[in-house]
Amino acid sequence: MNEYVWLHYLLPRTAWYELETADRERYEREFERLRDVSVQHGARFSGRVHIRGQGDYSQVEIWSFPSAEAAFEHWSRLVSGGYTKWFEFANQLGTAEQNERNK
Amino acid sequence: MTLLSGETEVFQAAHDGRCAVVFLAKRHSLAERHGTGDPSAVLAELDRLRDKGWLLSLDRILDAQANEPSVYATGFTHDVDFAGMFEAPSQSAAHAGITALERAGWTRLLRTEWLTGPREFLPVISPASRGTRDEWGFFALWKWNAAWQAASEEQRREYDLECDIAFASDVRAGAAIAGRHRLDAASEWDHIGVWRIPGADMLDAAMREHDRVADFKFTTSRHYLGRRIPFEKAITGENA
Repeated sequence: MNEYVWLHYLLPRTAWYELETADRERYEREFERLRDVSVQHGARFSGRVHIRGQGDYSQVEIWSFPSAEAAFEHWSRLVSGGYTKWFEFANQLGTAEQNERNK
Repeated sequence: MTLLSGETEVFQAAHDGRCAVVFLAKRHSLAERHGTGDPSAVLAELDRLRDKGWLLSLDRILDAQANEPSVYATGFTHDVDFAGMFEAPSQSAAHAGITALERAGWTRLLRTEWLTGPREFLPVISPASRGTRDEWGFFALWKWNAAWQAASEEQRREYDLECDIAFASDVRAGAAIAGRHRLDAASEWDHIGVWRIPGADMLDAAMREHDRVADFKFTTSRHYLGRRIPFEKAITGENA
């Protein structure tokens, strides 16, 4: 696994719900294309989990990246592509534990 | 790096790849300390980070020659005991350094919210700044709200120029601003701006001016105000 684990919490904004289906699908395709760029640069996507029942956000995505900079570039591409116009977010970046509990 | 919003008269872009390491920390009580948290081991780790190019205080990031660790005592008016800002040579260096500090004993002494992200704008230091004689630090975290996200490019630009009026006023009043850093890749916030200021009165007047130009119509923000103390006193609680 990549050393840097990145958690992306997301919540659709009102504007996302109000989009026509075709527009929403067009944006989804574009965001998926940007995610693929990161995968081609060494990112690994481990899944998207529904968490609406336990917190402020709707879903969390789990990613890992080879460096902190790579995680930043992934996010920065999404932001430049207009992602945050449609989704609120909270992100966390950390390094994987190497068989050692946090003392 | 793409800027989240454009340069202004006050703020110019930086391209140095350096990374803010901001911490909001609360001391564990003696009874809560896990094992033997040792402040001297944390200080020794900070020495190592300094040797690797870390800047260990807001003053050093701004203009001071000395690179001694200092933070801002915030317990008098916030739910954290102190806030501080270091700067690491890169984002990966920031995370490696945080891990090293935690392993040296930081987590046994403190409960901490870490915020990291790369520099976007260069520091802005007022000609009226009194340098390190100004003892107060102001930490402003903010994120754009749904109204900003829905606004046109022209509306955002107009808004930036309105805010710049207030920032120019802050600088005339003596604020030294550590530029702007992005926090959005690793928090819920878009940005942080950290200022060195003469005191709470100046800050109150500054925030009234930011209110007047409608700075907060497009943002949600959280602010911390504190007075400078040496890092060693902050982690031991001595005179803090």
